[in-house]
Amino acid sequence: MAEQDQTTPPYWRWIPTSFALAGIIVFIFATFGPPASSSGFVSVLKGFFQAAAPEYIADKTHYQAIPGPGSWLMAFVLGMAIGGFIAGRTSKRIPVRDMPPIWEKRFGPSRIKRYAATFLGGFLILLGSRLAGGCTLGLFISGSTQLAVSGLYFGVIIFGVAMLTARLIFGKMERTETMDDIE
Amino acid sequence: MTKVWLGLFSGIAFGYVIQRIGATDAHRMARSHLMLDSDIPRFMVLATALSALGLFGLQAVGIGRTLVLPTSLVATGLAAVIFGIGWGIAGYCPGTTWAAAGEGRMDAVFALIGGLAGTLLFAHFHEVLIPLLYDPTNVGQITLTDLFGSYAIAVGVLAIGFGFCAWGIGKVWGERMRVVEFRQGHGESSSSPSE
Repeated sequence: MAEQDQTTPPYWRWIPTSFALAGIIVFIFATFGPPASSSGFVSVLKGFFQAAAPEYIADKTHYQAIPGPGSWLMAFVLGMAIGGFIAGRTSKRIPVRDMPPIWEKRFGPSRIKRYAATFLGGFLILLGSRLAGGCTLGLFISGSTQLAVSGLYFGVIIFGVAMLTARLIFGKMERTETMDDIE
Repeated sequence: MTKVWLGLFSGIAFGYVIQRIGATDAHRMARSHLMLDSDIPRFMVLATALSALGLFGLQAVGIGRTLVLPTSLVATGLAAVIFGIGWGIAGYCPGTTWAAAGEGRMDAVFALIGGLAGTLLFAHFHEVLIPLLYDPTNVGQITLTDLFGSYAIAVGVLAIGFGFCAWGIGKVWGERMRVVEFRQGHGESSSSPSE
């Protein structure tokens, strides 16, 4: 446990980063409108069906309500992937890994198990997001920025339930878990 | 076309910043949920408070577009519970799956595919689920401005409230928080143990 590493975490500090993200969000409000990312999933599927099965989405409200490829929403999620790629490639210290150490410690090194779990997790977050009309960004952050009660209500519950779920999954590891003791 | 470039630029900046705070790392997200690491929740609420102040400024000079989503007591609440379970399991939310997949995290790629499946399912049953779950308890596009009667006061209440949350999360989480430490090479693959 190198002492100098302890004092210099690889991440940006949270206060300046909050200003950076708020700047981006205000820019988005000024140039587009409320930022959203779960709608990008609908745009992707809409693009797929427009090419593969246009008759299927012709009378589907959900696909009619969200613009397809070529929209800001779709460009935004693709941009997120590009931004993540650039950030990942230019950071020497933030590790990119396929499996969180905390997961490996709790469930073992099976990649299939982890990928099945994230598939299920991804399924649930989008099912919830599409029902509510937005996600962490599109409903909690965008909504609260606009003082929407829906965003505050959604935000309180997602944090509470995620904390409870993490506690149920990882159990007692909670007290001992650190970044460095996975070896 | 301008819209697409703006969206792409905004997405790149957004993805870059959330990677740098560690929000694309499911390990760090799990630690945040377990109250071992307070940076991400504090970052989320402070960024929202600052955005609310920024949007207030934009509105004052007549710039920007807003769209308040309605609150449905049952649908928004139930959706949040489903979402919270998924977030707790995967450690990813819809936005971070894109950035984390771009970063090269394979588990995020599967979260993204799962997300497409979830979207497909909901969109298929939209016509059944919305009238059943959303509409009956939809109380409309209510905001704090409706509650406090003035946009300026409501923004102040939200900014102070969220600022207090950012401070409080640090207090509550802080006692058990340890500074994250990394070993080079560790985590790159499970076949390179550093012991």
